[in-house]
Amino acid sequence: MDFVKSEHLVYDYKTYNENSEIVTNRAINGLDIAIPKGQFIAVLGHNGSGKSTFAKQINALLLPSDGKMTVNGLDTADEKNTWSIRQSAGMVFQNPDNQIIATIIEEEIAFGPENLGIPSAEIKTRVEDALLSVNMSKYRNSSPMMLSGGQKQRIAIAGVLAMRPDCIVLDEPTAMLDPIGRRQVINTLLQLNKQGITIVLITHYMEEACLADRVAVFDKGSLVMDGTPAEIFRQVERVKQLHLDVPQVTELASKLIKRGVSLPNDILTIDDMAAALLEKGFKKDVSFPRDEREYKIPQTLIEVKNLTHIYGKETVYESVALKNVSLKIGKGELIGLIGHTGSGKSTLIQHLNALSKPDEGCVMLDGFDINSDKSRLKEVRRRVGLVFQYPEHQLFETTVFKDVAFGPENLGLSAEEIQTRVKDALASVGMGEEYYEKSPFELSGGQKRRVAIAGVLAMHPEVLVLDEPTAGLDPYSRDEILANIKRMHKELDMTVILVSHSMEDISRIADRILVMNKGCVEFFDTPQKVFGHIKRLTEIGLNAPQISLLMDRLNDEGTALPRSIFDVDTACEVLYNALAGVSA
Amino acid sequence: MNITIGQYYPTNSVIHNLDARIKIMGTFLYITACFIAKGVLGYLLCAAFLAMVVRLSAVPVKMLLGGLKPIIVIIIFTVALNILFTGGKDMLWQYGVIRISVQGILMAVKMAVRLILLVMGSSVLTLSTTPIQLTVGMEYLLKPYKRFGLPAHEIAMMTSIALRFIPTLVEELDKIRKAQMARGADFDTGGLIQRAQSLIPLLVPLFVSAFRRADELAMAMEARCYRGDINRTRMNELVMEKNDYTALASVLVFLFAVLILRLVWGL
Repeated sequence: MDFVKSEHLVYDYKTYNENSEIVTNRAINGLDIAIPKGQFIAVLGHNGSGKSTFAKQINALLLPSDGKMTVNGLDTADEKNTWSIRQSAGMVFQNPDNQIIATIIEEEIAFGPENLGIPSAEIKTRVEDALLSVNMSKYRNSSPMMLSGGQKQRIAIAGVLAMRPDCIVLDEPTAMLDPIGRRQVINTLLQLNKQGITIVLITHYMEEACLADRVAVFDKGSLVMDGTPAEIFRQVERVKQLHLDVPQVTELASKLIKRGVSLPNDILTIDDMAAALLEKGFKKDVSFPRDEREYKIPQTLIEVKNLTHIYGKETVYESVALKNVSLKIGKGELIGLIGHTGSGKSTLIQHLNALSKPDEGCVMLDGFDINSDKSRLKEVRRRVGLVFQYPEHQLFETTVFKDVAFGPENLGLSAEEIQTRVKDALASVGMGEEYYEKSPFELSGGQKRRVAIAGVLAMHPEVLVLDEPTAGLDPYSRDEILANIKRMHKELDMTVILVSHSMEDISRIADRILVMNKGCVEFFDTPQKVFGHIKRLTEIGLNAPQISLLMDRLNDEGTALPRSIFDVDTACEVLYNALAGVSA
Repeated sequence: MNITIGQYYPTNSVIHNLDARIKIMGTFLYITACFIAKGVLGYLLCAAFLAMVVRLSAVPVKMLLGGLKPIIVIIIFTVALNILFTGGKDMLWQYGVIRISVQGILMAVKMAVRLILLVMGSSVLTLSTTPIQLTVGMEYLLKPYKRFGLPAHEIAMMTSIALRFIPTLVEELDKIRKAQMARGADFDTGGLIQRAQSLIPLLVPLFVSAFRRADELAMAMEARCYRGDINRTRMNELVMEKNDYTALASVLVFLFAVLILRLVWGL
């Protein structure tokens, strides 16, 4: 039986423009899709493809402008069905904080059943069951504020489960989580699916989509690709055209196939790929040209000396965020900073421009202790620009131009100087003149973020620190921002420190990678060297690039392939030369 | 970040475990008693009752006294006003409108004692009851007035959501403040107008974020079938137990005693 069925579904968003005329924006355009009961379907598509709108249609939060939508056999357009539909198709949203209503976990989970008018004894059993299903029983009486992002999302799932739904619709539930939290959420979903619950998962992460029974790709409000993960991702070119990612191993397999290597065309995971390659076997006597180039660290610009920072010192909440950290960053380097939530990476970068003060140790900028002279704080903050996570949340001015001008104005520059700086900064992030007079709040998510980055660039920093600049963006906007950062680094000759959860992002552009773990420096070296320690990276909860993991696996199986490869093209080259039965 | 809202003192006392409704009603009755008491004996009785409740609540007296800090100015002001301007039979000193008398001084002392008793009494309520329990208690107590159009459930829901989001927004404000400081904003220097202006880069993003959160929360609530008070049940219904009845009876006895003192002996 089809649990969700849409027939020629159309949805128009209606907004008013300045002249109070109605502007319609078609988000869903004649969509036909049927989702059978018990299926785990991943819905992909870049921002604005209509997937979130579709999710809200399933939950009857939005009703069709045209066409028909049935959920569990009920027409969503009929008002009588609304509550029954919302009970049977629960919904989990992206931001964990904005969907938690209560201050105690058990009350949070009870919220749904309470609304349904379930008797109180029955609610108690449901709460217990739901907590058990998401493995959060021991937090029953805790406050949601104390939980990690992944735990909060599991509570949100439990809140839906307590309503005893047939289907759970999740709108990018992992977009704001770190790799550990993401894994927790996805494992929970897989488990629930086994129990027969239909799962509709909207995501930007392809490794999550690979775990689904079926992948549906949306573009411009219609279904453009539909099939099993293998059927979809083997069409590498097509998927990339739609501004989406392909799992690294699938891309690698398709590249090798193109060069005439015969491999199965349904490779999605590292296991699949390793097995296929090992079956083919490797030549005995290949040698690999060792990358002998030594990376030379340029002249030191920032030096962190024995830095220790303790939060809530001498209270019960005391926690050590940084423990005796020492490191040197050279002028003009592009550093990738990685570590799981709570590793101390955010605390570290806030010390670089004196927003946080060390409890012990110091930070030197060009040989000057930045905390030694309060009157030079402004100068320090100008020289070290810091772009926070979700920087678009700090936009406040009426126009893009004015917002970017805020920093330079604080520096007390002349009007002409401010003009040139704002224009240059906006140009650097690829925002043309047509945006100058627009309200920053009208822009798309990726554009807002670029404006916010320009706001820091306009201060002409020597060091630009970005805290997870790609968080929550779709693959297309993410690539755009990364390309921008790389270009700015080159053209403006800036030292850049890029904080990220994604090893894949960082490995693509960083000169050196700094890995933080539990307030200490775990590794600080070139990507090749850092990815040589792939097992340790996995151990401390980081997501290594698939290619690294694959090479590591092949090494464990006794091949002599170099471990330090982390990008698809190099891997393709190396494997092509090393595989047995392939002409060199 | 850890932010405590209100001044709840977490412990497991008899008073803490009372039904929030009883505690709210009890506080009201106690306040009434404080206003009825007129003479030294009346005040002594109120003080004794308060002392007993404080003892039972296991709240440190230091915390209770701490609750008086914000109103010290008001107490001093009231005392001064009463001493200086209340005339009486036994005038001690007089100059123009300023008239200091024995009665005035007595009045001032009484007022001060009454204020202190009132504030300490209500502090016991907030120290022994979480804000959420208070909200739920209020909702139950206000329910009967629903037929007169009082949106008891909505008020309670709004209050509890506000309580839930205060820490989130405080955290957000801290983030915005740091981000604007990184762009060279200065919140600590300059004159009054300059400082007020420097708040714009803080408040605009904060409000935008609050509205965005409100919007998303509303949608999440709707998705979970929230439709106000219609056909709604509760997981934890408030149920009166033996202790609650005992507590209510004690407060009533106390109020009655104060009333008798006042009516019969005028104390």
